[in-house]
Amino acid sequence: MFAISILVFLIFFATPGVDPAARIAGRSATPQVVQQVKHEFGLDRPLPVRYVLMMDHLFIKQDLSSYINIGDRVVPQIESAAPVTLSLVLGAAVIWLVVGIAGGVIAAANRGKFIDPLIMFFGIAAISVPAYWLGQVVNLITQSKLHASLFSWVPPSGYVALSASPGEWALHLLFPWLTLAALYAGIYARVLRAELVNALNEDYVRTARAKGLSERRILIRHALRCSLISIVSLFGLDFGSLIGGAALLTEVVFGLPGVGLLTYTALQNLDLPVIMGAVMYGAFFVVLANTVVDVAYAFLDPRVRLV
Amino acid sequence: MTPECALSERDATATPLLQVENLQVSFSTRGGVVRAVDGLSFSVGRKEVLGVVGESGSGKSVSMYSMLGLLREANVTVSGSVKFEGREILGLADREMRSIRGGDIGMIFQDPMTALTPVYRVGWQIAEQIRAHSDATKAQARQRAIELLGEVGIPEPARRVDQFPHEFSGGMRQRVVIAMALSCNPKLLIADEPTTALDVTTQAQILELMGKLQETYDSSIVLITHDMGVISEMADRVVVMYAGRPAELGDRRDVIRTPQHPYTWGLLGAVPRVETKRSRLATIPGTPVSPLNVPAGCAFAPRCAHRFDKCDERPTLKGGGHQDACWLSDEQKVTLRQRDSTSVSSHD
Amino acid sequence: MTEDILLRATNIVKEFTLRSPGVRQRLTMQAVADVSLEIRRGETFGIVGESGCGKSTLARCLVQLLSPTSGSVQFNGQELTKLSRRQLRPVRRQMQLVFQDPYASLNPRRRVGDIVAEPLRINKFGDDAAIRARVLELFELVGLDPASVNRYPHEFSGGQRQRIGIARSLSLNPSLVVADEPVSALDVSVQAQVLNLMADLQERLGLTYLFIAHDLGVVRHVSDRVAVMYLGEIVEYGVADDLYEQPFHPYTEALLSVSPELDDGTREQRERIVISGDVPAPFDRPSGCPFRTRCPVATERCVEEKPVLVELSPGHSVACHYPRNRT
Repeated sequence: MFAISILVFLIFFATPGVDPAARIAGRSATPQVVQQVKHEFGLDRPLPVRYVLMMDHLFIKQDLSSYINIGDRVVPQIESAAPVTLSLVLGAAVIWLVVGIAGGVIAAANRGKFIDPLIMFFGIAAISVPAYWLGQVVNLITQSKLHASLFSWVPPSGYVALSASPGEWALHLLFPWLTLAALYAGIYARVLRAELVNALNEDYVRTARAKGLSERRILIRHALRCSLISIVSLFGLDFGSLIGGAALLTEVVFGLPGVGLLTYTALQNLDLPVIMGAVMYGAFFVVLANTVVDVAYAFLDPRVRLV
Repeated sequence: MTPECALSERDATATPLLQVENLQVSFSTRGGVVRAVDGLSFSVGRKEVLGVVGESGSGKSVSMYSMLGLLREANVTVSGSVKFEGREILGLADREMRSIRGGDIGMIFQDPMTALTPVYRVGWQIAEQIRAHSDATKAQARQRAIELLGEVGIPEPARRVDQFPHEFSGGMRQRVVIAMALSCNPKLLIADEPTTALDVTTQAQILELMGKLQETYDSSIVLITHDMGVISEMADRVVVMYAGRPAELGDRRDVIRTPQHPYTWGLLGAVPRVETKRSRLATIPGTPVSPLNVPAGCAFAPRCAHRFDKCDERPTLKGGGHQDACWLSDEQKVTLRQRDSTSVSSHD
Repeated sequence: MTEDILLRATNIVKEFTLRSPGVRQRLTMQAVADVSLEIRRGETFGIVGESGCGKSTLARCLVQLLSPTSGSVQFNGQELTKLSRRQLRPVRRQMQLVFQDPYASLNPRRRVGDIVAEPLRINKFGDDAAIRARVLELFELVGLDPASVNRYPHEFSGGQRQRIGIARSLSLNPSLVVADEPVSALDVSVQAQVLNLMADLQERLGLTYLFIAHDLGVVRHVSDRVAVMYLGEIVEYGVADDLYEQPFHPYTEALLSVSPELDDGTREQRERIVISGDVPAPFDRPSGCPFRTRCPVATERCVEEKPVLVELSPGHSVACHYPRNRT
């Protein structure tokens, strides 16, 4: 995480052509004003000092404030954005796991028959379609084109907190969930199918057949159980990075004020403190996810032990 | 307490346990039709050990797998007749085959390191088989699993029953596999190269164990191997396979002491022996035939030093108790065999 | 009588250290635990042992593919362990290796002619024409059709691939060929062909072989002298016929007794000595004699005192407190 923070910092400040002071000062600022801004924000201090100062504000004093909306604290912004992203990702995760695993299992169980390439085709289609395009199309259909007739029940884009109204919360999130889940369901179905087909050629499956077990039991209890290991590690990483704000485009398209949207806006405005805060937040979850996956591995695969 | 496992039909002691007639297995591949097994017939009696010997490409493993319905891919065609306890099992629906597989017929494979599912404890895996073929409860099945582990010589079975496969060495794992295969008191055990992946000392332990268990369980064994020495130790009768076809069939002593097919005595001559040192090994020229290119006549003819024109016609197994698929006359076989064993083979 | 010693290995030890993450101490095991042997020019020296006995590791230490942790290896009188990589190069030409797996030891993307030519090219054997001629010569030598030089490995059978491997090892006229399980992966009939070939080549080219295998029959067939290894140590060695007819070490005796035998009516069947248990984990080397945990005649003395190799009859030595079959 340390390394990430340095990297972000350097990208922001050491990139030629980008002068945060000028941006903060505004378009019509004179050189003196820019100088003044530089001084006020400590932008004329040497790079390492500025880095330390920023980290100090962000983590210790927690009063790091935005460059653009002067006075707006970074940490509270992230705090309020986090639950939105969490809601989005959790719901989508449930959907994509169920659909992806079911798809993979059905395809593997019926390999060679028609339904197998059909599922794989949908999988590839889902992966190839960019999330923002899909989101926009969904919006187009539900909000404008068919809004009056088929989709009148779809609320306008935006977020309603769970505490306010669970029903509205779910309704607002329904299409974002489906859009985000589509891509991942496609990946998981394809990956799982490949893993299962491999597993079904393993010696231990041959033994299981020789034991007289049913194909279904072999598929679920033996092949799937062994293939889950790779799915779990994949899921851990995906989930971690999404919580950290990787669902950016989906949030933007559906107007959900999550961490992704926050980062997006901050990037457009070159608002370094917010970017730094959001990135650190995201990085933390990626690291956490990696650790959880490592631990999960030890539970799922008895050959791997933590020591 | 031994759970009752799935029963098969009438228990006639007169009919052989397993009767195979003209088994044919072919694969349709891009390169053409591969006849992996082409006309195999043999029988296995009660409490008998039948050795099936052959090199790679002989079809020895494929024949067994096909009999048990383990080859269900779309490009496989299996025909012929396989009667188990008088009942035709070739072509049975999978559901019925499943009750026989693991129940009346147990099977063990070559590589013990990969034969068990790595994520489940060994006791669980044995119990799974027991419960698939009987009404045993979890507790009963587990108890039986512990007994079985003890029978196959695993020390501290009550403790080790809850261990994972990777906690066992190769020889120990093979014992677990044997325990699992015997869990439902099968009448027939098919062992596909069970000791090839093991060291000689471990092999000796496993073979001894199998012999002992055969006595206890009254089961018959089909032992597939490429190792003539193992056959010599374990088998009552032997069938020698080449290119998917049977070359010779008979009592172990007869086949090994007085082989009648040039391939058999070539094979025996090629084995370097521990007991005696010869200056040169008898060799069979050429390489084992590719299954895509099996000749129309005798499959072994291209490599046989004694071929003559009759060999363009495909021979079938004939003879009394000791059969072989070779056109040479009986006297010729004896003379040529003796000649081959005393001379130094000069061609490679 | 001075025997011409081609390779002399003295007190070879090869240790491996396992560092497991999270485990405090490092686990060290000796794959080769103090091995000494001499290989005479022109002979076939066989090393037999089961998996994990260290024979392959020993072979690699002898040809310097691995550096021994301690001990000395003298080839043609020259000490190898002190040489730098550059100094080793001319020596390497003299010692060549043939491997077990004919399917993995040939680069599938290269034509077989190139595979055999590679050592010649690296050692600047001559111009292209000379190299090509030598490759064809080698193909004939090992019984392969010279017209097949341009084919790829997958177009050959296992036995033929092994011949290619042998051709490659012979390209630079080595004096010592170390064959590590060269026939284990082959069918019986093909195995016999390759063994006969190796015997022929030895006669024609005056080769010395170090032949490593786990199959006792194969080792007896090819070897003049044999060493038996267990858990990284040589427990017995001697002239092949002596060792096989009258094994001194209980392990050798057991190995011979359980090797499956052909009952062809020519001999009485041996009595079987089935030893129980498994080979101890190399990290957990037993004190005293390594074989004592499975030995039918082990006593207290075997736990405390480690037996050393003693010559009990001319040319036949054993490391055991209670040797068998002593006349």
